[in-house]
Amino acid sequence: MITVQDHRERATAPLALPSNGVPSRLRVLVVDDHPAIRLGLLQLLDDQPDFDVVDAACSAEEARSLAEREPIDVAVVDYQLGARSGLWLTRMLKRLERPPRVVIYSAFSDGPLAAACVVAGADGLVSKGGTGAELCHAIRAVSRGQSRLPLVPPTLAGAMRRRLGSEEQAVFGMLLAGIDPDEIAITLGISEQSLDSRRWAMLHKLEGLRPDPAGAHVAAGRIKRRRAPGC
Amino acid sequence: MNGNSSSPGRPARRRYIPLLYRVAGVNALLLVVAVGVTIVVLDPNRVSSFRVDAEGAALIVALLLVVAINVYLVRRLVGPVQALTALARRVDLSDHEERMPVSDPASEAGELASTFNEMLARLEAERREATGRVLAGQEAERLRIAQELHDQVGQELTAVLLGLARVEARAPDELRGDVADVQRAVRGSLEDVRRIAIELRPEALDDLGLQSALAVLCERFTERFGLQVKQQLGPQLPELSPDAELVVYRVAQEALTNVARHSGAHEAELTLAPENGFLTLTVTDAGNGLPEGVVPGTGMRGMRERATLIGANLTIDGDRVDGGTRVRLEVPTEHRVSLEVRTENGR
Repeated sequence: MITVQDHRERATAPLALPSNGVPSRLRVLVVDDHPAIRLGLLQLLDDQPDFDVVDAACSAEEARSLAEREPIDVAVVDYQLGARSGLWLTRMLKRLERPPRVVIYSAFSDGPLAAACVVAGADGLVSKGGTGAELCHAIRAVSRGQSRLPLVPPTLAGAMRRRLGSEEQAVFGMLLAGIDPDEIAITLGISEQSLDSRRWAMLHKLEGLRPDPAGAHVAAGRIKRRRAPGC
Repeated sequence: MNGNSSSPGRPARRRYIPLLYRVAGVNALLLVVAVGVTIVVLDPNRVSSFRVDAEGAALIVALLLVVAINVYLVRRLVGPVQALTALARRVDLSDHEERMPVSDPASEAGELASTFNEMLARLEAERREATGRVLAGQEAERLRIAQELHDQVGQELTAVLLGLARVEARAPDELRGDVADVQRAVRGSLEDVRRIAIELRPEALDDLGLQSALAVLCERFTERFGLQVKQQLGPQLPELSPDAELVVYRVAQEALTNVARHSGAHEAELTLAPENGFLTLTVTDAGNGLPEGVVPGTGMRGMRERATLIGANLTIDGDRVDGGTRVRLEVPTEHRVSLEVRTENGR
């Protein structure tokens, strides 16, 4: 098993502290379509004194509309969310004005998924086979701006790169190297939107994900808010 | 489904006089009688004074010559029948296309040979189709089990782990060790469930394509068995049909499993390279090789059946000069065969 390593720190700033300087509790959103896991996560994270579980969503759509209405610090997202993947949700969350950090919580935390997480812009990948403490540590680490993604083995990265177009290969390489997306856009001389659409295209090739530009403006509040398990 | 049943169950061969000798014998007899009758009819007076001298000798030599020519001609006619019998006896439908040469199409023998060839082609097609159906069913079932394992058992175990994490945090000190033991056991089971699900269904193949899937496969063998797999995956490889990709993947999986379990080797090499009209997969190890007279198990038979399905050649060389075994699969890249082995996307 690949261990989760804190192998690089991103240049991004840690989440802002409130004006009084006292760190508030981390606002965490749980997204998982399996009721037992949702309940388990909710209870485990609620027990942590420094976490405040804002809500538990059971679908990607619900999670997105929740995040549009409420500020979220860290989203803990299942990779397999039925119709939508956790990576689709990640791209959507990262478009928000105040994007949360995203930890993908998945049955598999292997190389291919780690690479896809990098492309989607997730901050961490934690195996469902890990301990609860590992997950809590990862949530705290990403909230401080650290990356918690497993390393992608070079042979695998090479094989995956070959599926991409030449410009995408450059973006893929830079993302894997931990270069900030803003910097990548400047280096390649492209706009942020065009980098975003390229990331969608790469995810489509690597994961079969399709972008959903029309769905990006689904009216908030369409999905009734529910507290805790019961989707 | 047993492809190599040849000797058991076949009735004992009866002894008989070959057709060649029967026809030649009858012809020779008729010839002698005809010559005798001719002599008597032409010159009845000479029969009493027949001398076994130069005349008789010439007659006998001429007779023998005619019989010899007759044997030669009859042999030519009967030869194809014997060749047909020999081919019918050794033909292996799972192997290459073996056919009767048709020397003269406008003859009974030629027609028999071409009819026989047609029958072989039909049998092969039927067999390929049947194998395809069986393998497609097997893949679909594997997918279903893998998904059940993952979506049900895996998720439940994860939920148990999350619950245990809470219990551990609240447990009095003297119980912490016990809780940790239970957690370890559950984590072990969860790992097993995932591993089995992955082995049943190569998800990476659906999502990432053959090369990445093979890279992931090799990593997994390193993790699980400590088997170092040197990978050589050519940069520009011809595209294969999804069926062919799945076959290449399964053959690689089976070959590496054999290396890890039986060869005693700690290193293996996997290459995937284009070679004049074929995409060739080779898995080589420097282990014990195959024991003499090894009976092909289900694994090896499975590899062969899958290879046949996409018209590929599979050779297993277990007696190499430098020891070790080499499995080599040559997949034709020019004509694509699709038999719907693959079911829909696995995730």
